[in-house]
Amino acid sequence: MLVLTRKVNQSIVIGEGIEVVILEVRGEQVRLGIKAPRDVAVHRKEIFEQIRTENEAATTTKPEDVPE
Amino acid sequence: MTTVTKLDTSRFGVIDCATDDVVTFSDGLIGLPDLKEFVIVQHREDSPFRWMQSLDDPAVAFLVVDPGFYAMNYSPEMPESVSSALELTDQVPILVYTICTIPNGNPRGMTLNLAGPVVINAESRRAKQVVLEDESCPVRYNVFADEQSKAA
Repeated sequence: MLVLTRKVNQSIVIGEGIEVVILEVRGEQVRLGIKAPRDVAVHRKEIFEQIRTENEAATTTKPEDVPE
Repeated sequence: MTTVTKLDTSRFGVIDCATDDVVTFSDGLIGLPDLKEFVIVQHREDSPFRWMQSLDDPAVAFLVVDPGFYAMNYSPEMPESVSSALELTDQVPILVYTICTIPNGNPRGMTLNLAGPVVINAESRRAKQVVLEDESCPVRYNVFADEQSKAA
């Protein structure tokens, strides 16, 4: 993992066309602004993790339990 | 020219798959990037349920259903990243499915993953599992919860 230190209003550029800006730091919270092309999805990691966990749980579903 | 191959699945035994029926997820599913190709199989003749059977791993299949069947007001906005990735336009027919999870032996415990629907471009047969960050689209929508609380 690449580790960088930034101050408020400084940015990080990723690849071509993705930019992450530090907008504000308040206590434990960091506010980030993300500029990315329309075809790039940006999400909080927790939601990915929740969906991944649910996908894995879904694979145990059995045909005999399907409601009619 | 469509070719038909046989797939030996753990739930359905040997099934026929025509290449035209294959749905391709170029990024796989979320957290399961190696599951890229599926065929959609009927559950039972009159049932709204389908199974997304994996061609990459015959032991894996997902129970799916049209979310509108159980969640009347479910009409999330399609993120641009999805319309762009799947080349969706107003003319393109789109299929939206939600993946169902049923705890073993507990059909009334069925939940729908409304936060991670599957969107399919019905013409190109390319698909993507979409992430929706909307409070009204939970990862586990308990379909029968309302009925249970009314009966109590």
